[in-house]
Amino acid sequence: MTLADRIRDEGARLAAACTACGACVRACPMTAYAPAALADTSLTAFGMRDLLTGGVGNAPGLAWVAVCARSGVCSDACPEHLDAAFLLRLAQMRAKGALDEAPRIPVKEDTGFSARVKAFARLTLTEGEQAEWL
Amino acid sequence: MAMNSTPDAIFWYGCNMTRHGEVIRASARILEAVGVAAAPRGGPAACCGSPKDANARINGGMARRTVQAFNGSGAAAVITWCPSCHMNMQDSMAPVTPTNFETQHITEALWARRAVLAPLLTQAVPARVLVHGHLGFQGRVPINDLVPALLRLIPGVTVLDHPYRAPGHMCSSLAGVPGALADCHRALLAVAEENRVDTLVTIFHSCHREAVALERHGLRVMNWIHLLAAAMGLPAEDAYKTWRNAQDARAAIGDERLAQAGETAFARLVEPELGKPPVV
Repeated sequence: MTLADRIRDEGARLAAACTACGACVRACPMTAYAPAALADTSLTAFGMRDLLTGGVGNAPGLAWVAVCARSGVCSDACPEHLDAAFLLRLAQMRAKGALDEAPRIPVKEDTGFSARVKAFARLTLTEGEQAEWL
Repeated sequence: MAMNSTPDAIFWYGCNMTRHGEVIRASARILEAVGVAAAPRGGPAACCGSPKDANARINGGMARRTVQAFNGSGAAAVITWCPSCHMNMQDSMAPVTPTNFETQHITEALWARRAVLAPLLTQAVPARVLVHGHLGFQGRVPINDLVPALLRLIPGVTVLDHPYRAPGHMCSSLAGVPGALADCHRALLAVAEENRVDTLVTIFHSCHREAVALERHGLRVMNWIHLLAAAMGLPAEDAYKTWRNAQDARAAIGDERLAQAGETAFARLVEPELGKPPVV
């Protein structure tokens, strides 16, 4: 199995169980930063669910998925007892184009990530620690 | 601790923790003091893959390499620090690449050994603290309960009970959402002021690197490991905080350390972060 398989398989499984009732959207503290998601929470959830199976989603769904910060309260709110936080994470990965699809939300990738981590390591770790711990 | 002998455990500190080498060092020493020989491992070569969320092939390859290295170490346990790493291990890494170790968060490992830990906390650390919790991750590990409980073992520490929890699982998840991190910091400052707190205690590294700038508002900022280390008499100077709040980061770091980082790398990768304006 690959990560792509996992994203595809779990996405399909969770999408099939999700009723797009919108309880997760209503519980989410991040909708303060994506108010369009609250206009019709079922429509927002529908758009998010569509992403899980490779669909294009919809505007409120994409706006909501883009601000997901993994608060996790959606899982407690789900009447189907789904791991909604994981569902959101998979939807966000799909929306970013993780499976070689066109990105549907902005991707803020830090291209200097690895080099920055190593530069800070040279500032805060001894040479011996770098050799053993990195 | 080298990986050429079989450790009890790996202390998987993640990637961005290299800004806080003293936290990695102190964490390993605290774990060792309670009976867990844990070899620190992290950085890009031991990544969970999440920096490449937009590319499952690269993300999955990084994650698989990390799991295979941990499997090959012979360690029975991987003790995590980062909530992203911890959740990714459970959600996508282990299901894709089977593991031969158990995963436990460092707060769980220390709390389970609190009977050994508590007598080692001999130095009083006078502080009235607000613990900076987030909503996320609490469902996996009761982090917002464990950190205050560990801090209450320290003589001199008073922990404020307050219901404020920031959205997200740590501050790096808020930093990419316009306004979210500033709202979080304003809320923390308000709670601290209303309750006459003198120390804001961060739980995670990404929260810490953002929150240290709040010292410019007169609020001391420490990580929970800094407090445990102080209580045990372990050195854990927060150099990053000093550099971030210095008028001249280069002068604060000094020529010798700058040379270690390399001038080009420092100027391109480090200096912009240390010099960026605080969010509040």
